[in-house]
Amino acid sequence: MSSHYAPGSPAGQPAATPGDATQPVGYVAELDEAWPDPARATSPGHSGVGVFPAPRPLHQRTPTEPAPAAGTDIDSPFLDLFGATRPARSTSVGSAAREQPQPQPQPQPQPTIPQQFVAADPLAAPAAPAAPTEVERSPAGSARRATRVPHQVGERLARTETEEAAPTAAEVTPRPAEVTPRRRLAERSEPDAREVPPSDQRSTDQRDRATKGGRRDRATKTDRRDRATKPARIRPPKINFRDRDPSVELAITEIAGHLTFTPNTVTAWYWLPEVRWAFRPDAEREALLAAISEQYAGLAGFRLHLRRTTRPFPADEWARTIDTHTRAPLPDVPGTPSWADHLVAAQRHLLSVNHAEGQTYLGVTFARRSLGDSLVERVRRSFGRGVAEGERRKLSRTVEQFDEVLGAFGMRGRRVTTPELEWLLYRSVALCMAPPGRLSPVTNGHWERGDLLALTEQVERYRTPYGSTVKLVNRMTGEEGHVAVLAVGRMEPLEIPERHEPWLHFHERLPWPMELSSRVDILGSGDSFRNLEHRLRMIRSQQLDYAEHGIDAPPELERLAERALVIGDEMTTGLPVESARAHGWHRLAVGGRTREECLERARRLIQLYSRELRVSLQHPKNQDWLAREFIPGEPIANTGYVRRMPVNLFAAALPQAASTVGDRRGDLIGRTAGTCRRPVFLDLHFPMEVRERSGLGVFVAEPGGGKSTLLGALGYLAARRGVQVTLLDPSGPLARLCAMPELAPYARVLNLTGSEPGTLAPYSLIPTPLRSEFNAGDAGEREFEIAVSNARAERRMLVQDICMMLVPPQVAREASTATLFRHAVRQVPAEETATLDDVVATLGKLDDDAGRELANLLLDTAEMPLAMLFFGRPPEGLLGPDATLTVITMAGLRLPDLKIEREYWSAEEALALPMLHTAHRLAVRRCYGGSMSSRKLVGLDEAHFMEGWRSGRSFLVRLARDSRKWNLAALVASQNPKDILGLDVQNLVSTVFVGRIAEDEEIASEALRLLRVPVNDGYEATLASLSAADSTSAARLGYREFVMRDVDGRVQKVRVDVSYVDGLLDHLDTTPAAVAAAAGVLPVVAELEA
Amino acid sequence: MRLRTDDDIYRARLVYLGPPGYTLPVHLPYAQYGLFMLLVPLYMFVHWLFTLQVELFPAWEIALAIVTTSFVFRYVDPDRPARMVIHTALTDWRRTREPAAEQRDPRLVGSRIRIREELA
Repeated sequence: MSSHYAPGSPAGQPAATPGDATQPVGYVAELDEAWPDPARATSPGHSGVGVFPAPRPLHQRTPTEPAPAAGTDIDSPFLDLFGATRPARSTSVGSAAREQPQPQPQPQPQPTIPQQFVAADPLAAPAAPAAPTEVERSPAGSARRATRVPHQVGERLARTETEEAAPTAAEVTPRPAEVTPRRRLAERSEPDAREVPPSDQRSTDQRDRATKGGRRDRATKTDRRDRATKPARIRPPKINFRDRDPSVELAITEIAGHLTFTPNTVTAWYWLPEVRWAFRPDAEREALLAAISEQYAGLAGFRLHLRRTTRPFPADEWARTIDTHTRAPLPDVPGTPSWADHLVAAQRHLLSVNHAEGQTYLGVTFARRSLGDSLVERVRRSFGRGVAEGERRKLSRTVEQFDEVLGAFGMRGRRVTTPELEWLLYRSVALCMAPPGRLSPVTNGHWERGDLLALTEQVERYRTPYGSTVKLVNRMTGEEGHVAVLAVGRMEPLEIPERHEPWLHFHERLPWPMELSSRVDILGSGDSFRNLEHRLRMIRSQQLDYAEHGIDAPPELERLAERALVIGDEMTTGLPVESARAHGWHRLAVGGRTREECLERARRLIQLYSRELRVSLQHPKNQDWLAREFIPGEPIANTGYVRRMPVNLFAAALPQAASTVGDRRGDLIGRTAGTCRRPVFLDLHFPMEVRERSGLGVFVAEPGGGKSTLLGALGYLAARRGVQVTLLDPSGPLARLCAMPELAPYARVLNLTGSEPGTLAPYSLIPTPLRSEFNAGDAGEREFEIAVSNARAERRMLVQDICMMLVPPQVAREASTATLFRHAVRQVPAEETATLDDVVATLGKLDDDAGRELANLLLDTAEMPLAMLFFGRPPEGLLGPDATLTVITMAGLRLPDLKIEREYWSAEEALALPMLHTAHRLAVRRCYGGSMSSRKLVGLDEAHFMEGWRSGRSFLVRLARDSRKWNLAALVASQNPKDILGLDVQNLVSTVFVGRIAEDEEIASEALRLLRVPVNDGYEATLASLSAADSTSAARLGYREFVMRDVDGRVQKVRVDVSYVDGLLDHLDTTPAAVAAAAGVLPVVAELEA
Repeated sequence: MRLRTDDDIYRARLVYLGPPGYTLPVHLPYAQYGLFMLLVPLYMFVHWLFTLQVELFPAWEIALAIVTTSFVFRYVDPDRPARMVIHTALTDWRRTREPAAEQRDPRLVGSRIRIREELA
């Protein structure tokens, strides 16, 4: 974890719900979301959209107008911390403002430091027209939210006044600069300054007053005073926050390193990194679970607190990364989305689909503090010091044992840092609410020590008697959230990993983030046996009772007694892992913006668990205590729903399981579609530039599986980043990409069927290596010579293959044909300048009838217009490196069916084969034109035609080898993984996408082999179920699913979704109906040809 | 691997059948008798508060205790011990029942927590 602080809207900003919910104009609603939940990720305003200035001048990032102060009627000194305007204090705040010392100087009318880069772009504008800082700040939202805060004395009055005063306030008072409040907050966190922070002072004042006299007394008092000063006013607005409500300190008194101290206990906290679960062999999973159970067993005698919270995906961080890695994005075309808009759209998309990353913490409560220690701490606290050094030093030695136990294979836990603990505490107090965002990108954007804890003061808790939820209100942002806490009830036997998912990972199937808390006592073998024996004796005594009374005992007693005996036997004779037990409470917190939403989500979760895992989740009363249990150090809510289980089962809860795939620096291509949903990013140059692997990517799917669309989408995204892209698409629909307005000036289409003769001349397709590509010196010279002769050999091989393809199959099968071709080809110098005509001439000169016959056969084929492409010299400047996106098509060409014998192919079909071969070469040839280090991408569709020919394999091997040297990402699409496996290049493949394969078991197994996933383990069914259409629906499937293996060997089900790019899917749609529909709107291929 | 909890062992229904030689017509869990025995003196004490005298056979108290016990045990199951049921009833009953004016619970404030970057 690089940075655990969630980015996004500063907490002081009105966390605008509509901001998240707003989608850019023309946004294609995501059809695949079973539960579209755009409004709330972790909660509103959970993350920010970083807008990039890459191609735009700096002055466009204008300082924003201050937000109108409408509705911010919460009088909190924190309100203006993050730039929210104060509710027109000058006019409406009477007594309250005067009574207290102003904690900070009134903000001067000075130019505001912009909080985010503001996109003054056309795309962002319609989404949040008045929003000064993109999605986070929506004045309307803030007004609406703020009004939800109940029970403000004089709320109504204050609001009307504020609304009146708002325009003037907005004009006069700009937002205070970020720096001032930040410093103030930092001061607050200082131990000395914290004793009397401004807000505390005020609240204690008020509390005192409240205790002295009743509320009414106070009101009349202020009334009187107010009337004395301003007689004109009828009623003073009491918008000062009624701070009489009691506040309770958390049980934790001190955080020292990774330890937390409560008066009685000390807890050591560990961070558990995510582990991969999906698509791993069962044996590996079992080994993982066994290792974790052993670790738990090693903690026997301690109480554990396992907490899982979430962090919204840092979309802006990602955008910043991709922007950094994009040296030269495609220049903007006026009137089309610019590079910055493109990134903004991607970030919006990311935010709208609720990606939250899990964070798992494990606390081990390991020491009871002695009375003396606790007393010493109390005394020292009054002097501004905390836990005594002696005690801490003693603990630091004890705690090392946990590092050893938890750091091993299995959990691989590491000590948490204090900021992480603060984050956990804040997230636990503000359960399921918006995490605080970055303060400001102007400063370092991080919270200072203690800031987050200070923010817990702002979270108010409300409850209704016997209520099913707890209401939490963040009085700084006005955000309101409802939380329902569910307890894990009865559990049926689970088969993990064979049949079931880890039972605390399973909740991630639902698209909204949840929080988990497990409080568990780990019992060692002695304790668990004693516990069990006691229970067994009770059962036996009951049986005896029944016997004495002459009544038949219920059969269950005997069954349970037997089971207890078996378990007892396991405990006494087995290993410590088998005897250790985890007795504890497991809770899940579900949040929602309204009570109804929250309860609906809870209901869904309960349903999902009972249906799929046979775990009954209970929704007990006393919710406020249950919600409190999530906070580290707080007591357990109640003793109900205690689950007693072996540590194996507790280890199989595995809340830290995750399924990430892809790199975090590439384009957004979709999300994982397994149990949890994470965004998937793919930078096709990541394998070469970072991992130093080959850049060969393979796509395998049945027809209609979405290969071409994915290829086109990747090509588009790469082209936007300024990568030189060449796509070979024999059937032609990808040519429409070139018509996309943002690409049009930089794209060209090359239709081979209409090209000049010589375009596919085989000799020139293989470039001669340049001396400059090799190192200086003798070694380099030798390498260069080898490479040159290799290129010659390859040319000869290619020409022989092409000749074989051009002659009829009956002739090709004869042994003499191959010999003659070889003979002829050997005589022609294998340079780029040679042509096929030379070969024909050489054949003709042979004093052999068969040779002359072959020459004639070749000349016969040359009469066909398409075959003319192979003969003669290539036209000059055919494929210069100028166009960013080049699509090579072969419109109108009929591709043969490889299952049919070659004899039965028509002449045209027979020609398609050599054309495809050479077209592949041509597409790659273009990449050797520019500099070696510049990024290049080649997408080759229909690669299965390469199989069965020597030159095909050498082509792919060469591609894979060269990909690293030339920084060339090569994507190869095929219908059958056998083609790739048959070429024996799978070791060079770095990225694999496998789409739906339902027809043929064998092909599915081959695909799994390509993915390096265990075969015959049930994963074939997974491949068949990819992109499964809903048979009850007449609509088309709006997405495609793939199983993806990335360069690091992680495998995951991925749902490709590039709907955030406006118009891309329309241009990529290859279905006949869409093509027909688009005919009027989108240009046909002929028009596109350059 | 097949994993199951040990909960069923703890879910065994343990009932009081009656003193030796006599079987009670109804078989109630031991816990119910325990609660009943706690409630009777409690009601007697309440009764005493009103009347300042103790009755020899506290009929009303016994009746009330039986009703209360059965009422409480309607909500008790192996996962929900009587203590939790009573606790919930008390905590939630303590508050006003007016949901329109939700009660504000004490804020849980962590700002007083001292933070030390290093343990020692």
